[in-house]
Amino acid sequence: MAVIQARGLGKAYKGKNAVSNLSFDVRPGTVTGFLGPNGSGKSTTMRLMLGLDSGVGTCTFDGQPFSAYDVPMQHVGALLEAKPFHPTRSARNHLRMIAAPNGIPDHRVDEVLGIVGLSDVAGKEPGTFSLGMGQRLGLAAALLGNPHTLILDEPANGLDPQGIRWMRDLLKAQASEGRTVFVSSHLLSEMALMADELVVIGRGRMIANGPVEDFTRQSSANHVKVRSPEATKLASMIGQRLAGQGSVRAVGPSELAVVGLTADDIGDMAFDSQIRLHELSTIQASLEDAFLELTGGSEEFQAHAPMPYAGQAQVPPPYAGQQQPGQAQGQPPYAGQQPGPYQPGQEGAPWGSPEPGSQQSPQHPDDNQGGRA
Amino acid sequence: MIAAFKYEWQRLTTLASTWWITGSSIGVSVGFTFLVCMFMRLNLPGELKGDVSKDDSRFFLEAGMTQFSNVDPFYYLVAFAIAILGVLSWGHEYRHGMIRATLTAVPNRTAVWTAKFVTIGVWVAVVVLVSCLVSLLCTLLWFGSLDFDYDWGELFLSILQRVVFSVLVTWLVMAATELIRHQTFALVLLYLWPLGVENLLRLFFLIFGQFNQGINDAARFMPFNAGSRIIQDFSLINGYESVDGVFDTPLSALGGFIIFGGITALAMAGSLFSFRTRDA
Repeated sequence: MAVIQARGLGKAYKGKNAVSNLSFDVRPGTVTGFLGPNGSGKSTTMRLMLGLDSGVGTCTFDGQPFSAYDVPMQHVGALLEAKPFHPTRSARNHLRMIAAPNGIPDHRVDEVLGIVGLSDVAGKEPGTFSLGMGQRLGLAAALLGNPHTLILDEPANGLDPQGIRWMRDLLKAQASEGRTVFVSSHLLSEMALMADELVVIGRGRMIANGPVEDFTRQSSANHVKVRSPEATKLASMIGQRLAGQGSVRAVGPSELAVVGLTADDIGDMAFDSQIRLHELSTIQASLEDAFLELTGGSEEFQAHAPMPYAGQAQVPPPYAGQQQPGQAQGQPPYAGQQPGPYQPGQEGAPWGSPEPGSQQSPQHPDDNQGGRA
Repeated sequence: MIAAFKYEWQRLTTLASTWWITGSSIGVSVGFTFLVCMFMRLNLPGELKGDVSKDDSRFFLEAGMTQFSNVDPFYYLVAFAIAILGVLSWGHEYRHGMIRATLTAVPNRTAVWTAKFVTIGVWVAVVVLVSCLVSLLCTLLWFGSLDFDYDWGELFLSILQRVVFSVLVTWLVMAATELIRHQTFALVLLYLWPLGVENLLRLFFLIFGQFNQGINDAARFMPFNAGSRIIQDFSLINGYESVDGVFDTPLSALGGFIIFGGITALAMAGSLFSFRTRDA
């Protein structure tokens, strides 16, 4: 079955790198999510993969570049635009037009219109379509040739919740039939439900790729939640036990967040020290947690939180007086126990993630060669 | 290449604008001929009979058939109407983001470019042919009682000249649209340049030509002035103008074709290079 192999993809606009030396594989039988902040180069990468933009590097689909296929839509289906059609050409005619050069019979047009739920509006002008209907038509075009590979840029944009679930089920079904599905999305919760593997980029550079579980497992947002009336005492003991290999953070008067120890470890420790526990639970990082942590600082366009209104109360730190000099609010009170963003190269770093010192974004041209997704 | 032609044919024929531009181009041109002939005929006294000389037959039939485009400074209405199809053929690609759908359906850019120019060119040629033939019928509808000296070879040559001129105009604006990638600006350019800018320049050349005849003569090399010589052989001022050499004053039809065709070929070459190398 088809595999996508991207090697050294790169593109610069007016001297500024939009995509830099991206290399990754996308395996068949999986839904691979393509994540990155706004302006990180996802759409540019997809266009480079299909030869729509000029740039450097190669991308092959089952060993051949997209342009080498005589009937490309029977091999690779793509959705790159939110409304990729003329507003006055009917949906059916739009599909017939792109089917004609690809040897796709007309009856297939009606089939895919049925698959995406647009049969009733097949003869209507898509200029009147909602964004979601437009996306469905775009998806119909991608599915038209029953291709072994799908490349979809933000296909869930504009879809309602039912539409999103439908699309998720559709793409998962396509992958389960052995097809290769490469899909970008900003909907991280949706991606968490749909994707098997991830390619994550920031500022046009590879940040990480690999299975979703590996991606979230490395997040510092994975922690053990501890509630105890003797939280301060327990925190000191945990801090000594960690010895810099993790962190313990006070998140309330009687609550701790511990990274680096399991719930069993903490439970045993509390039992041995006769410390009462009211809650001990393992908190799994969400894909959103992991994504935000990993791509922090790599957004092209950063917004800032609005200033509080004058006189608005500030949230005090959990323990008044525990703030360390030079330490920001909400940071761990225990020096040397760094719970901050995932540090590349730390133990358990995801394969395919940046080298130490690259600060979430590969600096060397060869530092993301041959990643697998 | 066949795939690209299939795509372009579907693209062209599934758009409503193709049909109404085609229909109105033929309708307006034929209607113009019909109304002018009717007006003339109704204002001529009594029964119209008698022989018409060879020169008069040639002039009158050609004028009726081609909406007086054989007369300088008239312009050929059909060419500038149907050329809008050429603007839209590239304009729609960029205005509606169709270019990516096009290139994912047919990744061979040279084939896409060729199919567009050839398909639109053939379509324009057929429209001009139909317009000429129906206009000739309208002319004969009102003046059929006259005994014209029919020179079918000359009439065929007149049609061929309109086909060549119209296709060149269309290809030129297609190339311009691909280069500037802006449909509205290309449409403005289609009318502003030949009908506004060149006529203004021609006026300036005429004024400065009072001091230096060479300046006035140079006006014939402006693109659309040269192009119009493909179809015009009669001047409102000088009547039939004898042509001495290919590039003399006035330009011969061949000279006009070489200049206008050369400019069009250059623009097309630029657009092909652009289309092959720029991002979609």
